[in-house]
Amino acid sequence: MAHIHLPDGSFTLSWVLFWWICALVLIGAALVWARRRGVGATEITVAAFVTAASFAVFQVQVPLFGGVHMNLTPLIGILAGPVLGSFIVFIVNILSAAIGHGGWGLIGANVLVNFSEVLTGYLIFRALKRITPSLFSRAGIATFGGLFVGNIAMIAIILVSGIQGVTQTPLQILTGLSLLAAVNMGVAVVEAFVTGFIVEYIGKVKPDLLGGGRP
Amino acid sequence: MTAPDRRRGLILFVLILVAVAIISFAAYRLTGPMGIEERYSNAVGLPSTEEEEGGGWFGFSLEGNHLAYGVILLALVGISVIAYLRWKKEESR
Repeated sequence: MAHIHLPDGSFTLSWVLFWWICALVLIGAALVWARRRGVGATEITVAAFVTAASFAVFQVQVPLFGGVHMNLTPLIGILAGPVLGSFIVFIVNILSAAIGHGGWGLIGANVLVNFSEVLTGYLIFRALKRITPSLFSRAGIATFGGLFVGNIAMIAIILVSGIQGVTQTPLQILTGLSLLAAVNMGVAVVEAFVTGFIVEYIGKVKPDLLGGGRP
Repeated sequence: MTAPDRRRGLILFVLILVAVAIISFAAYRLTGPMGIEERYSNAVGLPSTEEEEGGGWFGFSLEGNHLAYGVILLALVGISVIAYLRWKKEESR
């Protein structure tokens, strides 16, 4: 997963505010969308469970490549859709900051990064329906795609914002972050299997839940 | 859709998996073993922060305050169960 794992104070106040405003605009748009089309009891139940699962998993450091995190964002996109997914990543980021995992100032930027994973995962999972019926493969590929786009978003946000108090050039930061993103993608292998098996299982026992992720 | 269609999806999945695993391992070998915070600090040029060692289970460890984690997780599970019971009641109507 991609998550800007920097301490508060890494971004200037103006960039912190900018990313927070972008995230709040996204949440506002999702609220309007959800109000217009309505949210059913099934969707709320699924959203509640994936929020709990995402929060639980996100705080666990996996002993792979020195330590990486999963956050199940593509699974959120597949099961809850991008509208409810935006609320879920917002809640998970706030709760994570509340327990001391991640800075408060970076919540806005991290919501945008995680939302890009949710949206990409959702879109790829749906698009692959025409290519293969295998739920495991569709979910696994959607996970790789989602996490890849999340890493690109993470790099873009850091490069645009800049880091306070460092002397490195943007090119040096880009090189460093590209290597970090490549290592980060290692967890995508684990997350792709986890997401694939969960979606495959849900497809067998409760296939209607997979249609619940409306936009 | 047929078995070849299923196989096509699996082949694509395995190809991506192998490519990602190779690239990740190569990047890991280039940068060396370090924790996630240290990796971020090094990548952007911030001074490295010492990460807490040990205290995990088979290498897995928890970030942040463990008590707060437990309390929040319990609350989230409680909310999920309430939502599930309400959904079940609605389904049975």
